[in-house]
Amino acid sequence: MLSSAIVRVVERVSVSLGTRKSLLSRMWHRFFSSLTGEYLWFYLLLIPSILLLILVVIIPMVFAFRMSLGNTMVTILGGKGNLSMQWVGLQNYIQILQNPNFWQAFRDTLYFTVVSLLVEVTVGVGLAVLMNQQFFGRKIFRVIVFIPWAIPTIVNAMLWGMVFDGDNYGALNDILLQLHIISSPIVWLNPSPLFTNIPWLSSFMNWMGGSVAMNSMIVGDEWRTLPIVAVLLLAGLQTIPNEYYEAAKVEGASAWRQFRAITFPLLGPIMSIVLILRTMQLLRAFTLIFTLQQYGLPTLSINAYQQAFSFGNFGSGSAISFLIGILSLLIAVVYINRLYKEEMS
Amino acid sequence: MKKKVASVLMGLTTLSTLLAPLGVANAATTPKVVLKVLYMNQAGYTTTVLQQMGKAFEKKYPNVSLQFTFLPYGQMHSAILTSAAAPTAQYDVVLSDLIWTGEFGIRGYTLPLNSYIQQNVKNAADIPQSIWNGFKVNGKIMAMPFLANFQNFYYNKAILKKAGFNAPPKTMAAWLHQMQVIKAKKIVQYPYEDSWTQAEGLVCDYVRTAGEFGNGNLFNAKGQPVMNQGAPLKALQFMRTLYADGLANPNSLTADEPTAANAFASGQAAFNTNWTFVTGIMNNPSQSKIVGQGVVTTFPVAPGTNRATQSASISGFQGLAMTANTPASLRPWAWKWIQFATSPAVQAQHLHSQWPVWSTIASSAQERKLNPSAPVYQKNLDAVYNRPIVVNYLQVSSIIQQYVHEAIAGTIPVKQAADDMVNQINALRA
Repeated sequence: MLSSAIVRVVERVSVSLGTRKSLLSRMWHRFFSSLTGEYLWFYLLLIPSILLLILVVIIPMVFAFRMSLGNTMVTILGGKGNLSMQWVGLQNYIQILQNPNFWQAFRDTLYFTVVSLLVEVTVGVGLAVLMNQQFFGRKIFRVIVFIPWAIPTIVNAMLWGMVFDGDNYGALNDILLQLHIISSPIVWLNPSPLFTNIPWLSSFMNWMGGSVAMNSMIVGDEWRTLPIVAVLLLAGLQTIPNEYYEAAKVEGASAWRQFRAITFPLLGPIMSIVLILRTMQLLRAFTLIFTLQQYGLPTLSINAYQQAFSFGNFGSGSAISFLIGILSLLIAVVYINRLYKEEMS
Repeated sequence: MKKKVASVLMGLTTLSTLLAPLGVANAATTPKVVLKVLYMNQAGYTTTVLQQMGKAFEKKYPNVSLQFTFLPYGQMHSAILTSAAAPTAQYDVVLSDLIWTGEFGIRGYTLPLNSYIQQNVKNAADIPQSIWNGFKVNGKIMAMPFLANFQNFYYNKAILKKAGFNAPPKTMAAWLHQMQVIKAKKIVQYPYEDSWTQAEGLVCDYVRTAGEFGNGNLFNAKGQPVMNQGAPLKALQFMRTLYADGLANPNSLTADEPTAANAFASGQAAFNTNWTFVTGIMNNPSQSKIVGQGVVTTFPVAPGTNRATQSASISGFQGLAMTANTPASLRPWAWKWIQFATSPAVQAQHLHSQWPVWSTIASSAQERKLNPSAPVYQKNLDAVYNRPIVVNYLQVSSIIQQYVHEAIAGTIPVKQAADDMVNQINALRA
């Protein structure tokens, strides 16, 4: 009753404004019409979730966007703390995009993301294929592979800090020294350049964000996240009908040919989902890097945090966060488009 | 029987309901003042020591309750900043590092304590001027000195003796020579380890080394950065030499202060330049392999420099500050806590934990008995250089950290790193 009354009111208002045929009016009409029928309860039950989303996602996001458009800093007025947000338009974004440090942070983040994804696609798929085979102790192997994922991120960071300690009592150095693979300890967490014996490659890698420390971060991060990637891919593998492989065997296809022609293409949809999730996580990588390096490896997230909470420039910090968000969104759109194309084909 | 039990329960419930308001009314007559205090997890005045001080304060003022929050150093600044953004302070009293003095003072995140100090601290002159200077901005005192931390020069006398030296170095050239001899004789692989990870500790070591070359002030009297000339440039070159010649452990580039201290206490390094907490570590058998071998002394300096002090150190003072959004009703109590914790009487009870800020306590017989190196401490304290007091210090520090780190590692030539450092700081200040 109430909803049909609302529909009538909206119709009248629309008519009076002469915008009945407008898109907005049609949307309103459709929305309120749906309230009269079977969707009434559907909308009523959705209200708490929508309110919660508005409260904890939409409002903070709008507030953060407003902060990014201002010279936002902490001020004290009359003994009360406050955030002043003097409007500066897009100035924060312009300044950030003109800052070479931002682009270095961008390249560092890109290096971290791309190399991590490469590891996940190759080693992750390999692990998943291995876990999908029938062999003695397969269940125990699956459990062991999954253990690192159960370790909290901060604990993982501390653990790798001890493994990578640059003195000879660091776990990795100790093992390598005892095996006589190295003659003196390596400082794994130092952002020293790679390929120092090939100067042009070394400087290119340095420009790209590749360093000993960054590679160590990737190893530490992948050790913890590879299991979940492998398990997701394993779930994808298990949806591939066994008949395809049997038919391929009958046709005389080798194991590599089977992988190339059956496994890899059919893993596409789950792979896209994994890549979307992981790309977004990797672009926001923070805990491991901050715990082990503080501001020494300034990826985009660390740059945003430093601007806001160390320098007190909440405007710049928010702007960088939005740039990370836009970047994630763009990459997600590319992946999703690809996913739809695969499904359509 | 069931009826009896039920009626007894009913009676008790009714009685408790009737008496409850009396309890509330009783509590309301003696309202408890709750002070929220932010402190740092650190050596010296540890969290345990602070809680002991807090209990003594609550005993003295039974109507006050202290609520401590302890955070690592890296989270302190952001916690104070976010507390300042709230209408009412999340923390009424905070531990304030001297490097935040400029920012907190100019942006008004903490309250000037001049009037409180003038009215209540009769013997303010007993705190050395070098300590007061760390907390002053435009004449306003932004924190009451609480912790007099500074760096000392530590050496392992057994290693020096093996290398043929009977005394620690007095000049920078002599120090370099001793390290070269120790390395050449293969007594230890790396004679020195320092905290050169890209963090605030690196700035401290850079300022101190510049001080050892005669001028630890990274900004001139006009407020211009001068890292690309004179003592600061020599310091950067010296630090690069130590790394490039294998005199400093390469791990220094990722080491913080405790890591460097542990390397020294394990006997791996002949020298360590570090905060006062190393004295405790090197003499503690459970933490040290060099008990009785570690010695604390004054810093070597370049000839003809630092004539008055014959040493050059770096300040790491910390004070207790009152946040500007602390409610007016709590401010007198916040000051009472600050005055209590920083008082000579309380500091005298904790001499085994920390060097006091008060000169009379520092030179007392009790201190000399507990710390035989007290005269050396005093000399190093008198020779401290402060890091720059500027409003955007953390941004300036971030630039210094980046370029000093790169210069030491050799990814940028020393002079270019110093020039880039100056240019970036100038651009920031433009």
